[in-house]
Amino acid sequence: MSERILIFIAATLALLIAGVALMWQPEMPERPLPSAAIAAGGDFTLQSASGPVSLSDFRGKLVLLYFGYTYCPDVCPTSLAATAEGLKQLKPEEVARVAMIFVSVDPKRDTPERLKEYAEFFHPAMVGATGAPEVIAEIAKRYGVFYAEQKVETSGGGYVVDHSSDTFIVGTDGQLVGKMVHATPPDQVVVAIRKYLKIN
Amino acid sequence: MKHLSLLAVGLMFSAGVLAGVADQISVQDAYVRLAPPNAPATGAFMVIRNNGDKDAKVLRADNPASKITELHTHLNEGGVMKMRPVASIEVKAKGEAVLKPGGLHVMMIDLKAAMKEGDVVPITLSFDDGSSKQVDARVVRPMAAGMPAMEHKH
Repeated sequence: MSERILIFIAATLALLIAGVALMWQPEMPERPLPSAAIAAGGDFTLQSASGPVSLSDFRGKLVLLYFGYTYCPDVCPTSLAATAEGLKQLKPEEVARVAMIFVSVDPKRDTPERLKEYAEFFHPAMVGATGAPEVIAEIAKRYGVFYAEQKVETSGGGYVVDHSSDTFIVGTDGQLVGKMVHATPPDQVVVAIRKYLKIN
Repeated sequence: MKHLSLLAVGLMFSAGVLAGVADQISVQDAYVRLAPPNAPATGAFMVIRNNGDKDAKVLRADNPASKITELHTHLNEGGVMKMRPVASIEVKAKGEAVLKPGGLHVMMIDLKAAMKEGDVVPITLSFDDGSSKQVDARVVRPMAAGMPAMEHKH
């Protein structure tokens, strides 16, 4: 068999797999999730320990955006640690052009002070911020972020929060340009950051 | 005297029961993720191997560092991570259960005191036949996803 045919077959298979991966919608027992593919993103203002913080404050920088909460025992630490590790692998001049905001979708329990401590545990440059529930809800909608409280008797305060676990990437012009899936390994974080720094 | 012998028999019997499934189990790479300051909960992770030829189930985990210990898993539904308690963790005969970030884990809720890196938390796993096994899990600062600092064995 000639190499060309092999390549053709491989490409066809790859396309098929990609197609299935894209079209594959496993049965969802609960309400359907908003599709994040059409997320508009955009500016917002939240409260941090050092006062109001807006996405537009970081114009000229690539901004990584993660929506979670500090009572999150595994999902957030996993993603935040991997992302922070990626940031640590960047050159100083690259890090200078990147910002990271951890947005709490649990303002009931997460004060700005608490968020500061939590975010800085992962990376000194990580900003923790939150706002009134309706403000958070509105931002989440624009970014295609889903979150919902789930009653779990034992989890500190009686509930956990299911939440979208992607890390959003906002370009230096404030436009939402992409996202990284949960627990993207540090080297992939580096690749993604460099890619978008180049474009911008 | 009769009581004593009964007690002795009872003790031997319970020792016999205790040396059940747990003897067939080996645990590797156990660690506890260092929780951020003020975080009320954290997870413990490990690989539980069943060297026996009978399927085993972990029904419970206990540890002295948190008020509550639960077995949990994660469901990733369209990018939304959902953490849920599970009744048990099955370890198939000659198989293993991998407890790792984003998947199954021992959930330590309401930590009694702040932890620091290098602390060792004894975690007791209880199996479906009543036997149990203690695992010493070291507290590790979260590095890359699912890769504690000590695990750099490539």
